[in-house]
Amino acid sequence: MRRAEWVGPRVRSGVVHALAALCLGALLAGCGPREVSTGHEVVVFRHPKLFGDPAALERLFAEFERESGIRVRSETLPSASDEQHLFYAINLQAGSREFDVFALDVIWVAEFARAGWLVDLTALVPDADREDLFPGPLAAVTWNRRIYALPWFVDAGLLYYRKDLLDKHGLAPPATWQALVDAARVVTGREPGLYGFVWQGKQYEGLVCNALEFVRGQGGDLPASDAARDASLRGLAFMRALVIDGVAPPFVTTLTEEPARVIFGQGRALFLRNWPYAWQLLARDGSPVQGKIGVAALPHAPGQPAAATLGGWQLGVNVHSARPAAAARVAAFLASARAQKALALAYGYAPPRRSLYRDPALARAQPFLASLREIFETARPRPVSPHYVALSQVLQSELSGVLTGERAPAAAVRAIDRAHRELERR
Amino acid sequence: MKRALVWLGLAAACAWSVAPFAWQVLTSLKPQAELERLPPLLPAALTLAHYEAIFAGHPFGRLILNSVVVAAGTAVLALALGALAGFALAKLRPPGRSAVLAGVVAMSMLPPIATVSPLFLMVGAAGLRDALAGLVLVYTAFALPLAVWLMTQFFRGIPDELYVAARVDGCSAAGAFAKVMLPLAVPGLTATGLLVFILAWNEFMYALTLTSSVAARTVPVGIALFPGLHEVPWGEIAAGAVVATAPVVLLAIAFQRRVLEGLTAGAVKG
Amino acid sequence: MSRARAHREAWPLVAPAGLVLVVVAAVPMLYVVWLSLHDRTVFRPPTFAGLGNYARLAADARFWNALGNTLYFTVVSVALELLLGLAIALLLARAGRLRAAAYGVMLLPWAVPTVVSARMWEWIYNAELGVLNYLAGARINWLGDPLLALHAAIAMDVWKATPFVALLLLAALQGIPRDLYRAAAVDGAGPWTTFRRVTLPLLLPVMLVAVVFRTIDALRVFDAIYVLTGGGPANGTETLSIYAYKILFQTLDFGYGSALAVVVLAVTAVAAAAYARALRGGAE
Repeated sequence: MRRAEWVGPRVRSGVVHALAALCLGALLAGCGPREVSTGHEVVVFRHPKLFGDPAALERLFAEFERESGIRVRSETLPSASDEQHLFYAINLQAGSREFDVFALDVIWVAEFARAGWLVDLTALVPDADREDLFPGPLAAVTWNRRIYALPWFVDAGLLYYRKDLLDKHGLAPPATWQALVDAARVVTGREPGLYGFVWQGKQYEGLVCNALEFVRGQGGDLPASDAARDASLRGLAFMRALVIDGVAPPFVTTLTEEPARVIFGQGRALFLRNWPYAWQLLARDGSPVQGKIGVAALPHAPGQPAAATLGGWQLGVNVHSARPAAAARVAAFLASARAQKALALAYGYAPPRRSLYRDPALARAQPFLASLREIFETARPRPVSPHYVALSQVLQSELSGVLTGERAPAAAVRAIDRAHRELERR
Repeated sequence: MKRALVWLGLAAACAWSVAPFAWQVLTSLKPQAELERLPPLLPAALTLAHYEAIFAGHPFGRLILNSVVVAAGTAVLALALGALAGFALAKLRPPGRSAVLAGVVAMSMLPPIATVSPLFLMVGAAGLRDALAGLVLVYTAFALPLAVWLMTQFFRGIPDELYVAARVDGCSAAGAFAKVMLPLAVPGLTATGLLVFILAWNEFMYALTLTSSVAARTVPVGIALFPGLHEVPWGEIAAGAVVATAPVVLLAIAFQRRVLEGLTAGAVKG
Repeated sequence: MSRARAHREAWPLVAPAGLVLVVVAAVPMLYVVWLSLHDRTVFRPPTFAGLGNYARLAADARFWNALGNTLYFTVVSVALELLLGLAIALLLARAGRLRAAAYGVMLLPWAVPTVVSARMWEWIYNAELGVLNYLAGARINWLGDPLLALHAAIAMDVWKATPFVALLLLAALQGIPRDLYRAAAVDGAGPWTTFRRVTLPLLLPVMLVAVVFRTIDALRVFDAIYVLTGGGPANGTETLSIYAYKILFQTLDFGYGSALAVVVLAVTAVAAAAYARALRGGAE
């Protein structure tokens, strides 16, 4: 029979803070491998399968084991984000000790932190590191001014465009949304069978990412503060206008990342909004658009800052872990510049550290990645809240309503604000 | 003339039933490049690449194994319990049997969503989450109302005299059941077993929530969750769908007479 | 062999089935009602909330939307299944030798897992590469428009379930004595009158049974919509089961989610009771 699960998250996190501080203090006091020289401690690391040959990750762990004596056992999870979320939530709530370190989606950190499932890792991020990390991921892993997860990979929305078509019609890659619309009208008017702009408009998490880019690009935000309300309404109206004016096809409301990427990859669209992963697929041999595409930061309204939505994965330590000290070391190792560089070289996953983007080896081997530094610098997370999943359901349906014309932007913004207030009260 | 109209109507109805499957099989055999374009309808060449991919890249074989184990296990358990109960209700006729049968029918109307959250918690507490045994247990309960109802009807169809004669000859109840009733009930057992197998094979919601890894995942969940992080591989989904449904389709066609008996016995009572 | 002894021997045989049903079906039913009376999230220990969740539900626009979608889906799909099922049953009744082959073919949609059908239809409904739009020669946004998507889901459900209804009605049709038809012919009744006066009244009980089964199934629809649209666009295809599932297993709010599940249970029970009454009435 399981012991009582509820020791009160506050009490427990207080105890955990103390414990973590003790362990980390002992570690940082230069003790090195003292407590692990007697044998190999095994730390279990759960994460979604990486997009490539697992050998590189294994090599990294082998190096780590040689240096620290801690063996890391890697266990993968199915890649569906919802499934992983459910798996972690159920196991962590039941006090499972079956994994020590695990990879979190950027939107779960506040929720897991408030539920008391994550070890406070603030001590693992000294000021030097804090300055090296992009502000977006840092904000996403911070809850109540403490850091509960270490940024591992970073991801942000990008604009892909058909360089050849823009050049042909004498246009530059658009820096503002209006310029994008104008370019789309000009080019699709002259090229038959071409869609203007494809992005992710289906009712799912991806829609929130896309819509926030439209809204924030106008200077607004969701939930909307009073000051930014008009800008938010403009952003939503713009999103809807894309479909009404034919810049985006009506079936954009069925598109997720891959279907949109395939349409662009077949040469049937001028602009695509997608994540960096798509570059490899679009630029590889055999792709109909190889050599014809370019990548840029997403447009925004004139005078407004760029506002790509942040994605990516973070490393957390299970508060129930039987080996919190070793687990923290593993997390710190994976989040270190050295490990992130190795993984960036092997898998093309973007590291969250500024310094790595100046590294010449990385720039040579992954030039595409290195070129995205500015975009990651300004990428903004979705609302950081323990209730994000519930808020996201409301966001998804309201945004989908605006996009299909069922909801007026004003009503949608009101509904989102109301839901946000109600959730924060719980 | 009327004959022709009837045949035409039937042909249309059959085409309507089969066309989506035909399209899916075609999709599964189309090379990837042809999947990303619509005209042409028919592929220039056929390929088995998608079928290879689903077994190589995804643990599809494991999913099929899990489904077979769970569906067969459920069928066996539900048949055993259902046949016993059906026999007792039909032949031994205890008082309160109509209440029991009504209760059983009521249970069959249970929406899965109503019990999925408590079962989720109960199965977790019992340590059976992500275990085939947990699924078999839940599915048996899910299928028992159907099994009990059907077996009761089938046993009712067997004349009482045969049972009475066996008892008079000195058999115990269990003996009469095993030696006389069970052999006569084979058509009913087959029909019920098939229906339960198909029901268990196709079940989705409990499988989705009560399993979390490939160790216990079944085929429907695998198909639903097919798109990984960065793929909507229509060809592979189609291949997966064909493979996923082949067993039940073959069973249904091979034993269609039995299946139909089962379906109609459940509903059409004289 | 006494009657009493037979009765005594019966219960141990019924008991195992009864035990499984009680533990795995009846107890959870009571437990879900219990859960629905609590406030139970991952952020604090469960606390008793009385009817708080139900009050919240009554004021929840998303709940009413889901209820409306569920009822609309049920009414339309059951009506279509009944009409089409009847038509097909009448055809099959005259099919003669072809009947067996037709049976087998028509069993396919029923035999296949719903999620597989949904994936098949998702591909068929695809706006860009779907064969439906190809044949229609237009770029219809089947799954991307809230109203169209709900009807697309209904069409898929009708496709899947009509064979079941057709076969039920066929079995009943075949049970109607030939003499009645001969008598009607002798009286000079035309085909429509025969159908109305002879066939239909005798089919009514089975039609009612088919309607009951299909209604119960449609009220609890989940698999098809989960795969086809996930509840969107704009929650236009979100049924009660989908809403409850999202609350339970995404937001992990077991209290409110259980309240939603109890509502599904209640709606199903009401429908079943209403039909039971009608059945008993019809039988007299």
